[in-house]
Amino acid sequence: MSAVLKLLAGRLAISLLVLAGVSMLIFAIARVIPGDPARIALGPNATPEQVEKLRQELRLDQPIWLQYGHFLSDLSRGELGTSLYTNRPVTRDIAQFLPATLELILAAGILMICIGLPLGIVAAKNEGGFIDNLVRVVSLLGVSAPSFVWAVILMILFAFFLPLFPIAGRIGTQFDVPQITGFLFVDCLLTGKLDALADALWHVALPAFALALSGIGQAARLTRANMVETYRRPHIEMARSYGFPEWRIARKYAFRPSLIPSLTIIGLDFAAMLGNAFLVEAIFAWPGLSRYGVAVILRKDLNAIVGTVLIISAAFLIANLIVDLLIALINPRIRHGRDRS
Amino acid sequence: MPRLLSGLLACALLALSALAANAERVLRLDEVAVGELDPAKASDYADSILMFNVYDTLVLPRQGGPGHTPHLAESWVGSGTEYTFTLRSDVSFQSGNPMTAEDVKFSFDRMVSIGQGLSFLFGNVESVDALDTYTVRFNLSEPYAPFVSALVRLPIVDKQLVMNNLGDGEGEMGDWGSEYLSQNGAGTGAYIVKSHNPQDETVMVKFDGYFLGVNERAPDTVRLRYGLEAATVRTLIAQGEHDISSQWLPPEVKKALAADGNQLLTEGGTGSFYFKMNTMKEPLDDVNCRLAISSAFDYESVLKLIAITDEISEGTAATGAITAGMFGAKPTSQALSRDVEAAKAHLAQCRHDPSTFSVEISWIAEVPLEERLALLLQANLAEVGISSTIRKVPWAAFAGMVENPDNTPNISQIFVTAVTGDPDTLLYGMYHSSKAGTWQSPEHLSDAQVDMLLDAGRAGETDGERESAYSALNDRLLTIAPSIYGFDSQAVFVARPGISVPALSDPNMAFGLDTMGFAFRLMEIE
Repeated sequence: MSAVLKLLAGRLAISLLVLAGVSMLIFAIARVIPGDPARIALGPNATPEQVEKLRQELRLDQPIWLQYGHFLSDLSRGELGTSLYTNRPVTRDIAQFLPATLELILAAGILMICIGLPLGIVAAKNEGGFIDNLVRVVSLLGVSAPSFVWAVILMILFAFFLPLFPIAGRIGTQFDVPQITGFLFVDCLLTGKLDALADALWHVALPAFALALSGIGQAARLTRANMVETYRRPHIEMARSYGFPEWRIARKYAFRPSLIPSLTIIGLDFAAMLGNAFLVEAIFAWPGLSRYGVAVILRKDLNAIVGTVLIISAAFLIANLIVDLLIALINPRIRHGRDRS
Repeated sequence: MPRLLSGLLACALLALSALAANAERVLRLDEVAVGELDPAKASDYADSILMFNVYDTLVLPRQGGPGHTPHLAESWVGSGTEYTFTLRSDVSFQSGNPMTAEDVKFSFDRMVSIGQGLSFLFGNVESVDALDTYTVRFNLSEPYAPFVSALVRLPIVDKQLVMNNLGDGEGEMGDWGSEYLSQNGAGTGAYIVKSHNPQDETVMVKFDGYFLGVNERAPDTVRLRYGLEAATVRTLIAQGEHDISSQWLPPEVKKALAADGNQLLTEGGTGSFYFKMNTMKEPLDDVNCRLAISSAFDYESVLKLIAITDEISEGTAATGAITAGMFGAKPTSQALSRDVEAAKAHLAQCRHDPSTFSVEISWIAEVPLEERLALLLQANLAEVGISSTIRKVPWAAFAGMVENPDNTPNISQIFVTAVTGDPDTLLYGMYHSSKAGTWQSPEHLSDAQVDMLLDAGRAGETDGERESAYSALNDRLLTIAPSIYGFDSQAVFVARPGISVPALSDPNMAFGLDTMGFAFRLMEIE
């Protein structure tokens, strides 16, 4: 078995253990938040009998370990119970809201990579110069203000004063795209509605940029710092002495080793955006999972809280796994480590 | 050449007018998430908007005055424990099925069996009998005067459609069609649900077969969006992308939008804002302490806090425990006012020494206005020598903590609305001892006279009897002061010019019921 496959198997095993731990933890935490979920769901006028009936339906009258057993049993059948917030199966809610959030963070992630990394490279190449300083200021601004502040600023600039971008929803109301996968971009492509795709991309632009700005700053700063450090290493000097062209030195000998820390951070940012996107989703009326997650916590909707947290945890673990694999592929010391030994 | 030009111009004008005539009238509005589409579970404002447009009820509140008018019913007779309704024979559901007495019986049975939403309104109804195709009888266990007004909250459901879509569940009726009705409409209403995402948006289109017909200037399509942020609504309205805001916009945003030339629509007369005092915990277990606090409160300043423009405010002066216009309410000329000397006199008679206690004033974290109101009350109390602390409490925590008097804050702030427009649904849940310990009743009041008067208000057979019972109740509640009666609340909505909503702008067309003004069929879009 190659080193990469062994790494993958090890990471997968650990991920499953972490998920099991998270499920226990969140199951217990959700039940100690103050407030009776049945009472909250039924409202003030429900009779004690109605509240008790719902408590029984939710199995809240049973010991917590027994409730957890039922939860695992339901989970094995692919069920997460019914949401008290939307009165629908939690799995259906997640299936409906998750694609919207995934599309948003995917767009944000692409912006993060396509803008953050080049900015870092350009800054490193011009260390100490005007461009470097400009990039550093811009990066600092991106990192220092939270996404929702950028969301409001962008909305005021590009929707209120300059009405260039739409600010609510995933697509214009004039388009009727049949839902096939739930991923709007994919559904537009599958149905051949390119005008709808363009409109969906137009809609995602502002929220994705607001969400990505902090990551762009972080990626630019990290890439710059690592590349500046790499440029000072002897192997770069040696490459120059061999007369390699500057672009080749930058791409192969400076950028590639500098990419590993940036990749780790970008990977974690991807997953963190899943949980952190809720304010951006709220401001841009984006019907996503993060907004749903906050709403269900405020309503103490136990099943939905557990389902949402599990999904976000799984996203973190998958992102970590992908980053580990990418690093293993990029870094020969990891890729060939086991074979050499 | 001039002829050619004028000809072209005429053609262009004709084409434009044809386009305008064929243009779809779309209404876009927003509310707090989620939108509950199932009539047996619907309860809050967004749900009610859906109910009053997708479904119909046997009766409707009379526009511009008290009482009710027949709607799906042609007429009704009854009082005491028996009410018999004769139904219209010309009503069809959106599915095409005719509406009959069986549908009414089914709708009632379904709501009570599921036991959620507003089913508590029908706790006194023992059974419903479909006497023939168009006659239905409600049998009550005891006289309940507000019964007819409660029927505005019983949407009539298409039995045949639901029976064809029963989901899994216990017993013969399975889930009573809950899963189906959480995504689809099954009513006779003027609007058909085209799509529904409870956290995002419900899209409705005009039902051409509506039994009363629909104004041709009424919206063809309605997009009810959920959970929009204030900044988003502000921008959308400025862009012309949104038509009516929810009532939950901050007053300063409403003011800014009004200054931009938008209209302010209002809906009032169905509820009030209260500071609830915990009567089971020191020091507010002493009536004199409570009277001191209610006398110290600055009723005039609170109106300035909630004013949007010089003419329009989110509330009007309170006259007592009962919202102006309802049975038992005092005339608007008798507005409550601050009396610092009286407050000090009451405080001197309180058995708790004000130097030894501090009262806790809570505010609901999701309602920022309440923080300002808490600060106002704190300043008022400081002037008479009562110290206080302010505590922010999330709604979910508040709903749980008020179940026990020991955990209930000394003072809580709540907006309460009569869900049927009748004072019974405003007052019974707040002040009857059997209902103590919910978010509506953090006073934990237990007063035999109040209980007796509330029961008398329910049982009164004539309007005069009810007026008398609620009037005495109002006096009693002013005497024992379980609450500070802050102001009579008024919902204010911002609407774009060109949208006409008579029920929210003309008092003579207003319904005495929350949300009913959002009957889209009665609106007009230019």
